Amino acid sequence: MPARRFLASTAVFASVAMIWWLAGRAGWTNAYLLPAPSAVIAALSDLAASGALLKHTLISLQRVLLGFALSVALALPLAVLLSASRLARSVLDPLLEFIRQIPPLALIPLLILWLGIGEAQKLGIIVLASFFPVFLGFRGGIAGVDPKLIEVGHVAGLTRREILTRIILPSALPELVVGLRISLGYSWRALVGAELIASSAGLGYMIIDAENLARTDIVLAGILVIGAIGLLSDVVLRFTIGRAFPWLSADLEAAHA
Amino acid sequence: MLELIDASRHYDVAGRAVRALDGVRELFPAGSITAVVGRSGCGKTTLLRLLAGLTEPSSGEVRRAPSHSVGVVFQEARLMPWLDVAANVAFPLKGRLSDADMAAHVDEALALVSLTEVRRALPVQLSGGMAQRVAIARALAQQPDILLLDEPFSALDAFTRRSLQRVLIDIWRARRPTVVLVTHDVEEAVLLGESVVEMEAGHVVGRVTIDLPFPREATDPAVVDHRRSILARLVGGTDPVTQAIHSGRK
Repeated sequence: MPARRFLASTAVFASVAMIWWLAGRAGWTNAYLLPAPSAVIAALSDLAASGALLKHTLISLQRVLLGFALSVALALPLAVLLSASRLARSVLDPLLEFIRQIPPLALIPLLILWLGIGEAQKLGIIVLASFFPVFLGFRGGIAGVDPKLIEVGHVAGLTRREILTRIILPSALPELVVGLRISLGYSWRALVGAELIASSAGLGYMIIDAENLARTDIVLAGILVIGAIGLLSDVVLRFTIGRAFPWLSADLEAAHA
Repeated sequence: MLELIDASRHYDVAGRAVRALDGVRELFPAGSITAVVGRSGCGKTTLLRLLAGLTEPSSGEVRRAPSHSVGVVFQEARLMPWLDVAANVAFPLKGRLSDADMAAHVDEALALVSLTEVRRALPVQLSGGMAQRVAIARALAQQPDILLLDEPFSALDAFTRRSLQRVLIDIWRARRPTVVLVTHDVEEAVLLGESVVEMEAGHVVGRVTIDLPFPREATDPAVVDHRRSILARLVGGTDPVTQAIHSGRK
């Protein structure tokens, strides 16, 4: 069944590529505005041969992973704190809710003024963009723990700490995983946004640089690479989680749908 | 020692106090097995939750020796979905016993409920009846001093119910924990209880000693007699439905 599904989704990709190719071939599209697949592949292989593709990809990947890791490192303890403490909730919730409403890209001008145009600014944008899905997912997971399971812990004489680590955290895991997956996707979007505006390296920079040079083939090549890496990182994340927590696989499928 | 002293529990439902349990005084002698029987809503689950320490009495007192360990079987299995069967059974033992002791307790408990073969299965793969048997094994593996059961067999098919009722009696005779079993099934109460506590509308309305040897058979005329007389008392004149019909209310 997974093999058939893989085949089907590959066929969909192939069909889109085919329509794209046909559209160029039949002259329905302008070759400058939408270069043919062959031109994009040629651009990709040139970029790969010169080492530029690898360089930009690695830089972007590094930023995403670092920003994502920072987000997770901030979101998990904060989610536990706010779930456990009514005081923390009443003090911090309004502020967090305020920040959540602001699109991270709107903060780019400020972040550039505060943090310059270096790595700190890009990490800042990624953290702003990817913090909330993990944070809210984990909090939702904690809030959604079945109180009946907690009673099982009380009856077994578990301490507060044991109830947290042995019942609440494992229960919250499925929603946390959904949050992690959304966050990883948001990290990519925010990164490219940040690189488009102020950067000298990375896939976003590669795209904007190509646009300035009127190289739409490279623009498309960059877009394809970002899409492919995003897809791949989601697959890797899901595979890792499926391996570590086999009972979650049903929830993962649900999140995918 | 397990005792309720004038224990009451009130719930606030839409601004009105509902008395789930009202001034119950009841002693459960150490090593006894008691069945609590009554229709749904009579307060028997509340009584069990007070004994388990899961609910605090609104007034009155629950006395339980602090050193006594408690095992509870709920109406639903309440298994941890992320743990396999063996790990669920081991759940209350973890960190309290050595790994070897824990494994021995788990193996024995799984054998008692005939689930040794599915020890590696996840809860999602179990039928409702199997999940409930895991929950029973989890309580038995603790080898508790006090075993509290809330309709533990009601979700099981008749055959499994009979065999697990026997398992319960065997365990009780071998280890002599104090057992309190809540049930709406009068026959089950008579089969399993040294004494049967009858409840109605938050009160204990009767207490019968069933002086018959274990294991008991449902077809035994003495069992049938006890069952009939308890039923007659519980369903008798105070049945709210019958009363409503007689008094012409809807």
